[in-house]
Amino acid sequence: MFAGAVAPPAADLVNPFAGDSQSAAQGARIYVDMNCDGCHGGGGVGFVGPSFTDGRWRYGGSAGVVYHSIFYGRPRGMPAYGGILSPTAIWKVVTYLHSLPVAADVATEAW
Amino acid sequence: MKIATLAILLCLSRAAASAAQARPSPAPDDGQWTMPGRDFAGTRYSTLSAITPANAAQLRPVWSFSTGVLGGHEGQPLVVDRTMYVVTPYPNVLYAFDLTEEGYPLKWKYRPDVNPSALGTACCDAINRGAFYADGKIVYNLLDGHTVAVDTGTGREVWRTPVAQIALGETMPMAPFVVDDHVFVGPSGGEYGIYGWLKALDLATGRLVWTARNMGPDSAMRVTPGTFHPFYDRGTDLGLTTWAGEAWKRGGAPIWGWLSYDRDLDLVYFGTGNPGPYNPEQRPGENKWTNSVLARRPGDGSLVWAYQFTPHDSWDYDANAEMILVDLVIAGRPRKVLVHFDKNGFAYTIDRSTGEVLVAEPFVHVTWASGVDRATGRPVMDTSKVTGASRGLIEDICPSLEGGKTPVAPAAYSPRTGWFYVSTNNLCMSFGATQAAYITGTPYVGVNAPYTAGPGGHMGAFIAWDAARGRKMWEIREKFPLWSGSVATAGDVVFYGTLDGWFKAADARTGRLLWKFKVGSGVVGCPITYRGPDGKQYVAVYAGIGGDWFLLAGDVRSDDPADVRPRSDFASDLARYTSQGGIVWIFALP
Repeated sequence: MFAGAVAPPAADLVNPFAGDSQSAAQGARIYVDMNCDGCHGGGGVGFVGPSFTDGRWRYGGSAGVVYHSIFYGRPRGMPAYGGILSPTAIWKVVTYLHSLPVAADVATEAW
Repeated sequence: MKIATLAILLCLSRAAASAAQARPSPAPDDGQWTMPGRDFAGTRYSTLSAITPANAAQLRPVWSFSTGVLGGHEGQPLVVDRTMYVVTPYPNVLYAFDLTEEGYPLKWKYRPDVNPSALGTACCDAINRGAFYADGKIVYNLLDGHTVAVDTGTGREVWRTPVAQIALGETMPMAPFVVDDHVFVGPSGGEYGIYGWLKALDLATGRLVWTARNMGPDSAMRVTPGTFHPFYDRGTDLGLTTWAGEAWKRGGAPIWGWLSYDRDLDLVYFGTGNPGPYNPEQRPGENKWTNSVLARRPGDGSLVWAYQFTPHDSWDYDANAEMILVDLVIAGRPRKVLVHFDKNGFAYTIDRSTGEVLVAEPFVHVTWASGVDRATGRPVMDTSKVTGASRGLIEDICPSLEGGKTPVAPAAYSPRTGWFYVSTNNLCMSFGATQAAYITGTPYVGVNAPYTAGPGGHMGAFIAWDAARGRKMWEIREKFPLWSGSVATAGDVVFYGTLDGWFKAADARTGRLLWKFKVGSGVVGCPITYRGPDGKQYVAVYAGIGGDWFLLAGDVRSDDPADVRPRSDFASDLARYTSQGGIVWIFALP
């Protein structure tokens, strides 16, 4: 899973707001204010950027890895927000993303 | 020449109009296809005439090539000196195929280094609209904002110039345009709050020669005192005074479409895109020169005239569609005109010397305006269709923001019929503008705009248009919107493709369908025709659905297995008819 089989430190990071609905609501606001919805869609359903509601993660979905994705950016177009958002704000966005309901049947097609 | 003249004589019912219209394309047709629109006028007309309505049904594929790239295959291949050149979507690989040998073997392949970050800054798929041949070089743009020139003999890079900045929200899918020593390029990024521009590079070295902004003060716009004469507007600094505050600095006006050139008038024509953000309440004023056609001198870039199709745009009606330069007889008078099918649903026939609108008629169902006032050049708007964050969801706006015609799909002109052949969309939308925040390099949009099919329920139509009178002559209805360019030929056959993966030939005079072939994926590219080394007429086109469609149709997007999406509400059955795949096809008669 990881190059050199050594997990980056992101895997060990713990979201201080995990499961906190008030933090999730604040994260939802940051998500809109920072134009995250411009690429990932309103409600995180995906647009130019990947969906957050299909239960699949390009770079990993644990809190620490999602934090890293936001802080450092990702090579296929995700900008780095580490210099723009405080760690607290990023954790609230992570809390929001993890609060989104994952649809049960989006993983495959049958029609 | 003889054949063309004979056909005009046979067409006596339209003799008065057509004889004067029927001027041959500006350059003699050597059977090559060296630039996106085939000629500087952008006619996409070929004098090749071997394929006719009588024999088109015998067309068959003679070659195909998988580009190995998924995503929207827009634009067109080039054919120069018995070689076909193909540019793929990101990662923007350039292939050269030897048309003299069986199987068209690869002569060389050029794979540039393209920054993948651009993938997140391209609003509408990682597309590329093609290359331009000039002076022994293939010149094209990379998604990440570089322009490159590649030697046709060796496949080696001659120069590579950073032109656009993805950090500012700029990408470069458009095809460059070359006049003499200058290469013209412009950015996409109307959804990212860019400050739009046209740049001229030196063809020999790639060095930047000048930059002309599409808005801002006259100095930035290269408005030289005494040379700028817009037909309907007076005053200085119009690119500044038609905005509030400094909104122009992030006001958009991208250049993602096509350019054309009139050597007699020495003017380059191009359209500019939407103002940003979509929410018009954040940018009071007419927002010049967004959604406009600009006429510039290719030498020093000075602006000679400009005309704005959709002032203070409320609906994302970019004017990036091609400007096709033809000579028409209008109201009994021969005129040098520019014909433009705007996203806003009106087809404009404009005097290309002055910018005066001569004809402006809807070519699709239009609800936002009842017409264009000839005295002022302004649209006569239905103010109930004006959008804004304070106005909620405005319904029944036609056409949709995809355009009555998408600029992705350039029209063709046949001097033999005097008509234009146009891929159109029959779509309407609701438009709910929202407040947008500007953060450099991120989306600056502010809208929710669901689509519906327009009257009749079909979502597209391929039409023939008389631009002298502003009349539709015939149409072929299509289930899905039309996203392919077209080509017209002296054999009176026109070609286009569909999103459900058919490549079709129709009779240019009657609109009768002559032939179709299933090309494996939806067509968003532009067909070309050329004379092969064996003297035969060939027709080539890309298959490979993408662009907006890979966003809109949900699970058509299959390139990322970790990103399977539910089908969209709109055109939800498109994925029953096609999936992604990039293929170059070549067809010929037996």
